[in-house]
Amino acid sequence: MTSTPQPNGTVDPKKGPPSARAPPVVGINFGNSYASIAVLNKDGVPDCIANEDGERQIATALSYYGEEMYIGNQAKPQLVKNSKNTIVGFRNLLGKTSQQASHIKSVAAPISEHNGELAYTVHVLEPIPAPSIQPTPKGSHAPTPMQSPPPELAEPSYVSKTLTVSEVASIVIGSLVNSAADFLGQQIQGAVVTVPSNFSPEARAALRKSAEAAGVHVLQLLDDPAAASLAYSSLQNPPLNDRTTLVLDLGASSLDLALLSTKQGLVHSLASSHTPHIGGDAIDDKLVAFFAKEFTKKTKIALSPTSKEAADLRALSKLRLAVEHTKRTLSASPGAAACSVESLKDGMDFSGTINRLRFDIEMKPIYTAVTEAVVKLLESAGLDNALLDEVILVGGTALLPGLTSQLSTVLEESTLILSEIDPSQVLSRGAAIQAGLLASISPNDPLLAAFEEDCKALDAHVTTKTLGVYFPDEAIGAKEFIPIIVSETPLPARRTVSFVSHLDEKEGEQFVGLEIWEVKESVKVEKTKVEIEADEGEEEEEPEEIETKERTVEKETFLGSIKMPVVGSRASKKKKGPLQATVLVTIIVTADRSVEVMAHQRNSSTAPTTLRISA
Amino acid sequence: MASAAIAHLDIIAPPVPDSWTPKEDAGAKISELRQRRLLPVGPAYLAHARRVLGNKTFAQDDADEELNAANGDPNGAEGLIEDDLGVGDEPESSDLLLLDPKDWKNQDHYKVLGLSKLRINATLDQIRVAHRKKVLKHHPDKKAGSGDTNDDALFKCIQKAFEILSNAEKRRQFDSVDPYFLNLEADPPTSSQISTSPKAFFSLMAPVFEMEARFSKTQPAVPLGSEDASKEEVEAFYDFWYNFDSWRSFEYRDKEVNEGSDSRDDKRYTLKKNKNERDRLKKEDTARVRGLVDLAMACDPRIKRIKQEEKAAREAKKKSGPAGKGKPSKAEEAARLAAEEKAKQEAEEAAKAEAKKAKAAAANAAKKARRAAKAEAEASGSATPA
Repeated sequence: MTSTPQPNGTVDPKKGPPSARAPPVVGINFGNSYASIAVLNKDGVPDCIANEDGERQIATALSYYGEEMYIGNQAKPQLVKNSKNTIVGFRNLLGKTSQQASHIKSVAAPISEHNGELAYTVHVLEPIPAPSIQPTPKGSHAPTPMQSPPPELAEPSYVSKTLTVSEVASIVIGSLVNSAADFLGQQIQGAVVTVPSNFSPEARAALRKSAEAAGVHVLQLLDDPAAASLAYSSLQNPPLNDRTTLVLDLGASSLDLALLSTKQGLVHSLASSHTPHIGGDAIDDKLVAFFAKEFTKKTKIALSPTSKEAADLRALSKLRLAVEHTKRTLSASPGAAACSVESLKDGMDFSGTINRLRFDIEMKPIYTAVTEAVVKLLESAGLDNALLDEVILVGGTALLPGLTSQLSTVLEESTLILSEIDPSQVLSRGAAIQAGLLASISPNDPLLAAFEEDCKALDAHVTTKTLGVYFPDEAIGAKEFIPIIVSETPLPARRTVSFVSHLDEKEGEQFVGLEIWEVKESVKVEKTKVEIEADEGEEEEEPEEIETKERTVEKETFLGSIKMPVVGSRASKKKKGPLQATVLVTIIVTADRSVEVMAHQRNSSTAPTTLRISA
Repeated sequence: MASAAIAHLDIIAPPVPDSWTPKEDAGAKISELRQRRLLPVGPAYLAHARRVLGNKTFAQDDADEELNAANGDPNGAEGLIEDDLGVGDEPESSDLLLLDPKDWKNQDHYKVLGLSKLRINATLDQIRVAHRKKVLKHHPDKKAGSGDTNDDALFKCIQKAFEILSNAEKRRQFDSVDPYFLNLEADPPTSSQISTSPKAFFSLMAPVFEMEARFSKTQPAVPLGSEDASKEEVEAFYDFWYNFDSWRSFEYRDKEVNEGSDSRDDKRYTLKKNKNERDRLKKEDTARVRGLVDLAMACDPRIKRIKQEEKAAREAKKKSGPAGKGKPSKAEEAARLAAEEKAKQEAEEAAKAEAKKAKAAAANAAKKARRAAKAEAEASGSATPA
C-alpha cells in the first residue's frame, strides 16, 4: 500500500510550551558586602551573570551624590570623598532594632531610627525640597523624580533624606533583578535569595518584604550552606552518594561554618558556627596596616591605621579600595601583587608590592582563626575528621591559596577541598538551581508548601547507626561489611544495592545468605613508623612516624537473616567463566523504625525474599 | 522499583551451603532515632516532601511518578524537547551502517534520514529537522571518543541524502525513481486478478492509481472512485488518466559523465546515450500508465453496468413506445432492427473515435514530454559547454 496522500506538513504541532528555554528565574546571593546573580541557561545549567558594569561580584552599596544615585561597585569609591552619603553593610541590619544594632558603627552614612526601623540619613540634591522628609518610592532605583520647580525655588538645594534599611535593600535587590532581566530579555518571574543560617525570622521577613517591594517574587529564602551544597551536588550525576560536607563560608565580614550530612541528596545540618570579624575585611585591615606602615617608612609621613583624623581617614579609605585589587591579584596569580595609590596623603603617591609569602605571613592569624574554628566545629559535632568527605569553599575570600594549604594541615588527606565552582559564585548558582526547581512546580501544587519554613516535612528522624549486610560465617572468605543505610540518614529511607555472587559449579537452585546487622563505626588510629630511605652520603634520618586513620566497623546488633534462592548463569557469551547471579538487596526503613529487607535476583521473576523487623 | 537508584558494589559474594539455616532473629530493633531538621533544597527534598506530606510509601510514590511520566507531565523533561515537526525517531536498521557512500545512487535517501514514513510528503522543514537529528547522532566528532574515528561512512551518506532531498530538482528526480515505490510498482495487478469480482477491482486498482497520482502535474488527480459512481464521474476518470500529464523523469539513472575526460566526443556520446535512455524509460513509463488505464477500462465493472443500464433504458423506452399499437409489423420490426444496428455501429464508431482521440492525446503528451526533455538536454548542454 502506498502512503495515503497527505497534504504537505501534516504534522500536529506539539502541545506544551512553545519555547524550550529555562524558566526566567534567578538565584540571588545577597551578601552583606557583595551580591551575585545567577540564571539557568538553556541547558538548565546555572550561570553567574555580570551586571551592566561587567561585574559578577556586585558590591551591596548605595551612594547618593548630588542628584545621582549609585548602586553596586560604582558606589564603593564614593566611600572616599562622599562617605556620609554612602550606605554599605546594611544587609545584616535587616529586621534589627536600634538596641540590637547599637554595637554596629556605621563606617559611612549615619544610622538613626525611623518609625521603629533602622534608617540611614543621606543628603541629596533635589530641585525642590520635598514636602517634609519623603523617601524615594519603593521598588524604584530611578533617580528621585524630577518635578517642575515652582519659580521661586528654581535653585536646587540639599535636603536630607531618610532611607530605612528595608528601602535600601529593596533598591539594591531591584537593581540586581533588573540586570538579570536585561540579560535574559524577559521579565523575572521569581527569585531564590540566599540568607545566612543564623538570620533571625524577623530579618528573613524583612528581607522578603524588601524584595517583594522591589517587585521580585521570592520563591524561597534559602540558607547559604544549602545553596552551596546544591550547587555542588548538581555537578554530579546522579548526585546520590552519601557524604559529610563542611561548608566554609568566608565572607567579607564573618566566617560561617556548617557541617552538612547529604544522604541521597537529602541535606541536613549537623552543626554550624558563626564567627564574626574574620573575613575579607579583617584581611583588608591587615593589608592596610601593612601598606600604611610601608608608606610611613618610605615617606616619613605618619599614617596610622587607627588614626581618627579626617585626612588619615580619607587616606585609609583610598588605601582600602586599592588593597581590594591587590588581594584579588594575589588570589589569581602566584607572583607578587602591587598596590599603588596616587596622592595617598599630603600629596605623596604610594606604590608598594607584596609577595605571596609575605602576605601569608601577615595573614597567618586569620588563617589560624579559620582552622581553629573548623577544628572546634568538628569537635563539637563529635565528628572525627577522617569521616569528613569534603569541604566546600564559599565566598571570595576563601579563594586565597594560603587558606587552602592551611586547611589541609588540619584535615585528613581523604578530605577533598572543593573549589571547582568559583567560591564567590557558589551561592548564587545553587540558588538558581533551586529557583529552577521551584519554578517547575505548578503554583497550585500543595507541594510548594514543603519549602515554607514551618513545613512538617522539614523535621525528620535520622538513623543513628549504620545498617548493612554481612555474609554468614559459613560462607568462606567474606568478612566484608556492606553498608546499606548509613547513620544520619533521614527517614523514611530506601536503599538498593546490587552485587554479584559467584556460585558453586552445579546446576539448579543454590542459595545466598545474608545477615542484617547494625554496626558500630569508629575510626582506628594507627601509628606506623616509616623508614625513610636515606640517599647515599646523607646522614641517617630519624624514622618518621605517620598516623593513619582507618574507618572500622564492629558488629553490634543482629537484626535478622535471609536465605534466598538464586539460579546461576554465565556472564560471557561463550558460556565460560564462573556461574554467577546478580543479587539486589533493598532495605526500607520507615519513620516508625520498622525495617523491611527485600532480596531478589536480577532479571528473575521469583518473588523477592523479604524480612520484616517491626518497630 | 524502577526509579530507585541502585548502587552496584564490587563485591563478590559466595553462596551458602544448602544446609545453612538463617539465624533466628532475636527480636532486636534498630537503634533510637535522632531528630534533625532538613534543609529544604534540591530535588531529593522535593521527593521526600512528596512522600511525607502525601503519606505515601516508596512503592506508591514510584507508581505515581511513573504514571505522571507516562502522562507527559508538563513539568517534566517533556517541556524541554524541541518541536520536531512530527519527524520522530525511526529505528535504524543495522544495514544503514553498512552503506557505502560511493554507492549513493542506490541508497534510499528517505530511509537514511529516517523519513521512510513520510517520503514524498515530507516538507523541506521536516527534512531539515531530520537531517539535524541524524547529524547530531552520527557526526564523526561525536564518535571520536568511541575509538573508530575514521568510520564516517554513514555520515557521508546522510550528507548526500540531505543534498539530494534539500534541492527541489534533485529531489524530484529521486522521487521519480524512489526504490520504495518501484518495489510496489513492480507487481501490478493482472486482469485475471481484478476481474474476479467488482470488489477485487476496486481494492486492487484504487491503490495503483493513488500511487501513480503522485506524478501528476495537475493536483489533485482524479481518483478511481467507488463502485456506484455516475457515468460522468467514470468518464472524468478515464479522461484524466488517458491524458495523464506526468512529471516523472529519469535523470537520476543517468550514467555519470566523465568530467575529467578531455574528449568532447566522449562526453557528448555519454550525454546522448543518457538522453536516449531517459526517453526510452519515459516512453516505457507512459506506456505502463496507459496499460494500467487500458486494463482498468477493460475490467471496469462500472462501464459494464452503465452499458447495461443504458441498454435497459433503451429497451424500456422501446417497449413502452410501441406498446399501444399492438403487434408491430414485420417492416417496422426490420426498420427497428436496422436502426438498432446503425445505432450500434455509430456507438462503436464513436467509441473508436474516442479511443483514437485519447491515443492521439497521449501521443501528443509524449511528444511534448520528449520535446521538453530535448529542450532541457539542450539547455543543460549549453550550460555545460564542452
